Formats: sequence, C-alpha cells, structure tokens
Amino acid sequence: MNKKIAIRAENLCKSFGDGDSLVEVIKNASFTINKGELIALIAPSGGGKTTLLMMIGCVEEPTSGKIRLGDETVYDDKWLTRETRKIRREKIGFIFQAHYLIPFLNIIDNLTLLPQANKIDEKTAKKKAEELLHYFGIADKAKAMPSQLSGGQNQRVAIARALVNNPQIILADEPTAALDMQRSVDVVKMLKQIAEEQEVAIIMVTHDDRMLPYCDRIMKIKNMATVFE
Amino acid sequence: MIHLAKEDIRHTLGKFIVTAMGVGMLLGIVLIMIGVYRGMIVDAEVLLNDLNVDLWIVQEGTLGPFAEASRVHDDLQYTIRSFQGIEKSGIITFQNIQLPKKKSKIRVFAVGYDVYGSISPINPARLTSGRPLKTDHYEIVVTDKTGFSLHDKIQLGRNIYTVVGITHGTVSSGGDLLVYISIKDAQELQFSYSNKRIQTDRARGIVNRDTHMVNAVIATVLPGYDTETVARNIHKWQHKSVYTKDRQRAVLTKYVVEKASKQIGMFTAILVIVATIIISLIIYTMTLEKMKEISIMKLMGLPNSMIVRMIVEETLLLGILAFIFGNIFSHLIYSKFPKRVVLEIPDAWILFGVVVVASIAASFVGVKKVINADPASAIGG
Ligand SMILES: Nc1ncnc2c1ncn2[C@@H]1O[C@H](COP(=O)(O)OP(=O)(O)OP(=O)(O)O)[C@@H](O)[C@H]1O
Ligand SMILES: [Mg+2]
Repeated sequence: MNKKIAIRAENLCKSFGDGDSLVEVIKNASFTINKGELIALIAPSGGGKTTLLMMIGCVEEPTSGKIRLGDETVYDDKWLTRETRKIRREKIGFIFQAHYLIPFLNIIDNLTLLPQANKIDEKTAKKKAEELLHYFGIADKAKAMPSQLSGGQNQRVAIARALVNNPQIILADEPTAALDMQRSVDVVKMLKQIAEEQEVAIIMVTHDDRMLPYCDRIMKIKNMATVFE
Repeated sequence: MIHLAKEDIRHTLGKFIVTAMGVGMLLGIVLIMIGVYRGMIVDAEVLLNDLNVDLWIVQEGTLGPFAEASRVHDDLQYTIRSFQGIEKSGIITFQNIQLPKKKSKIRVFAVGYDVYGSISPINPARLTSGRPLKTDHYEIVVTDKTGFSLHDKIQLGRNIYTVVGITHGTVSSGGDLLVYISIKDAQELQFSYSNKRIQTDRARGIVNRDTHMVNAVIATVLPGYDTETVARNIHKWQHKSVYTKDRQRAVLTKYVVEKASKQIGMFTAILVIVATIIISLIIYTMTLEKMKEISIMKLMGLPNSMIVRMIVEETLLLGILAFIFGNIFSHLIYSKFPKRVVLEIPDAWILFGVVVVASIAASFVGVKKVINADPASAIGG
C-alpha cells in the first residue's frame, strides 16, 4: 500500500432524487491525490465541485463507489463507520468562501473548539492555536471577536481553524472568492506552503485562473467524471 | 475549556436577561397564586385557632358550622359539661350579616358567643383596641378592615350597636371580615332579621321559631383525658356529631379550601404550561438564530453532545434566571393584594423543580432541531 496516498476515489457516483427527477452529478469519478499536493478543482457552476468535496469530506453520502482517506477506507457503497463526524474532526479541515467562524466565540476559542472536541488538552490546543495565529500574522487578535476583524483577517482565522486539528486533508471550497487579487495569491501560496510543510493534501475549488500556477495539479470535472490536466 | 452556552449568552446578554425577566414575571404570578392559596388556608383557620377548643358538638349527621348548617339547642352545653373529662363548654353561632356603612352595606361574618361563658372566640392577641363584649346586648367587636372605629354606632335589625373593640387580621373561613356579638343578640338577629321573613315563615306555617338554637356547642377537655375517647362517648349518648379540633380542621380543608385549591391549582397548572410553551418558543427561536453556526459545528465534526449541551444549558439557565426574577417580582408585589398572600419557601422550591423539569422539556424542541440539522446546509448547498 502506497504510504503517500491521501485520497483515493474509485468509481464514485452521486445523484440526487430518483425516478423522473433523478439528477446525476458525479459519475464514475476515480482519482488519487497524494500527501503534500495542492490540487485545483475546476468546473463550471453547477458542475458538482462542492458535491465532490462534500463526499470526500464525509458530509454528503455518495450513491456508490469507494473512498479511501489515508489508509482507511471510509466508504464502500456505504459508510464503513457510523461516525463520519469523527473522521471529519480528526482528519479533515474545511475552508469556505465565507469564514463561517462562530460569532459568539472569540478568535482563540474559535480555534480551540475542535481540539476540545478531539479531547486534546487545553494547553496543547491553545499553544497550537497561538502558533497558527502567529504564523498568519494575527497573534494580537486572539481575544477579539470575529465581528471585530476584517474579511481577510477572518479568512486567515478560518484557514488556521482548518489546520488546528493537524488534518491529513484540507477541503477548500472557493476560499479566495471573497478576497482581492493580492490577498487571494497570498492565501493560495500559504495553502501551497502548508501542503508541503505539513504533508497535507489540499483540494481547492477555484474559479480564478490566476491561482492555477500556484497549484501542483489541476483536476477538472468533465462529463461528470474527474480528469487531470 | 470553552463553555458554549456561557459564551453565547454573554454575546447576547441584554436580550437574554430581558427574556428571563419576562418569563420571570409569569413565574412570579404563579408564586402569587400559590401564595393566595396559602393565605386562604391561613384565613380559613383563624377562627378555629382563635377558639382553640378540643371538641365541636354539632347536629347529628352534619359536618359542623364551617361546612354546612348545623343546629343544636343551647341547653346542650350543660349536658356536655356533665360528661366525664370535659373541662369547659360553650355555645357559638355563625351567621352572615350586612353592616350598614355610609350609604352602602358591607357583608361580614358574625360570631355569636356567650359573653358570660368561659370560652371566647376573641383572641386577646388580635384585639388592637377596646375590649371584648361585656354585656349581653347591643355591643359589637369588629375587625379593623371593616373600617369602623371604637364607639361607632351601627344599626342592626331594630337596634343600635356600639363598637367596643377592634381586632386585627380576623376573617371567617370563607375570607369574610369577622365581627363578634353576644349569643343573645345573635339568636335575636337570626330570628328577627327581617319582618318579611317572619311573615313568610308564618305563611308557611312555621309559627313558633325556637330562638334557643345555636350552631355548635364547643368544649375543652381536661388534661389527662383522651379527646377522641371523650368525643366517642358524647356521640354515643347524645346522638350528635362530634369533631375534634383536628377533624374540624380537616373538614375545613376538605370542604372550604379544597374547591379553592382546585381552582387555584388549575390556574397554576395552566400558567406553568404557558411558561413552558413560552420557554420552548424562546429556545426554538434562539436555536433557529444559531442554525448556521450549529450546521458549521456539525460540519467541522463537533459531536452532537457538545451542541445539545449548549442548548440544554441555555434553557436551564433561562429557567433558573426567570425563577429568580419571579421570586423578586412576587416579593415586590404580594403585599399589594387585598387578600392575604403567604409566600412560602417550600412552595418556591417546588416551583423551582417544576421550572427545571419544564426547561429540560422545553429544550427538546431546540435539541431536535440540532439533531436534524444538515451539516451540508451550512454552506448553502
Ligand atoms: N441536495 C441537493 N439536492 C438536489 N440537487 C443538488 C443538491 N446539491 C446539489 N445539487 C445539484 O448538484 C449539482 C452540482 O451542485 P454543486 O453545488 O456541487 O455545484 P458546484 O460545482 O459547486 O457549483 P458552484 O460553482 O455554483 O458552487 C447542481 O446541479 C445542483 O443543483
Ligand atoms: Mg459550489
């Protein structure tokens, strides 16, 4: 078994509804993504990018196929674990277009919430969170509320949150859509650096071609299946 | 440790407190209702306790003057006195009368007692001015809330009565204000209360009304004698219903207070249900407002237990805070009620228990919402 594999999908299919209203979104998608890779995922709107991410992230149940995350097969025509949520909180980091921070928690609490759920002791979690804030240049905002930060700052907190549980995989759905060009490039470079430094596989959905040069590979959804360019 | 409920409440503290105050007022009303009931019980027993006799001898088959009409001959008191174990005996009448006051009338409950007898219904501790009755005729002791003062003249029937004493806090078992008159006056009033009645009675053929009737004979038992035994003995030989003080109290509670307690119990139950529904609705909207965050937490992989705990704790805190406000509220307003309101700590604790249970029940709506929340909905599909 290849130790470098982070995500492997085999004949992954997803359709919504049934009968006349059946909508096929993903059909026989098979691909392998290695640790340390930053993958750009592109497709037209409605092409199934979010759907694919949500299946890999164990949020949306596929219709059929097989998903392996690291050395654990999590889906084989059915979930192999009852606790998909445990997989999410231990192995996966999510980043979205909006930061989706918890508005009633301050920045440091937003970051330590997930480690707390993972039963990591408070001190270790706090130290890790502070390191991340430092890394992203917002260490002075630890006690601030999300509403007191700028959009770019909040997005950096959101990325930090996706990293705080030391995930093997980061799924980023248009993380730069709300940012200007310069900040977008900063974020993508940052993701590339994280992928390399921490051996994390990152799939990033983007509509912005200018981000593609910073990615290792480009994955497209064509005829409902995935192809690499 | 991050305490989700605490942080969320801190984030919307003002709103949370105002909400708790609103629910608190509702709970305050519940406490007042219970207090009114307690007050009723206290009121009901004033006369019984002031008389403080061991035995009530009443018409055979009746429950005694607190619950239904009872008539016995006043001579019975002498017979009773001859029973072994009896210390003192006396006679007593109860009747509702109207006292003319300015242009209107006030309804009072008149207790007639033997001025020369050894048992008096007037508790010296309650007499705030004047004295008890001294003569057989045309004297009256009234309770302060009637509004009469010492030496006032009151027309009753064909005669003018003089107020000789004022009591405080005396009411009948039904909550009417108490006045005291001599047994002779009471018997006369009962008999000659209106000429009209005499006429109708005559028309019905009731000619000779016996004026020597009273509502009950009361007696005390000598130390060393068992009250129950003496009671049984009297019943056996006199064919009268005999009640000890405790049984008379039970009759009072059963027949006088029970209806009221059902009435108030209904109100209280409805209010508690309303409070539960309101807390449920509040928690439901509070949860709805957080749906986005809840979906995100679920998507990130936070276990349900953490989120559910937040909802349940918030509901409990809302309930407890409302309970505290309710207590403050009820203590601020209870003295302004016209009838006696007695706030008791054990009642408050029972309500506390009910509030805790109600809050947990109320939190179910929020918890259900959490469990059904779709993590994928966090990102808008
Ligand atoms: N829960 C659902 N029920 C029915 N159809 C769905 C559902 N979720 C997604 N779809 C359909 O699946 C298709 C792919 O949706 P998806 O959100 O994955 O697209 P996308 O590539 O992320 O688009 P965008 O670039 O606009 O975000 C769409 O046609 C959408 O209508
Ligand atoms: Mg999408």
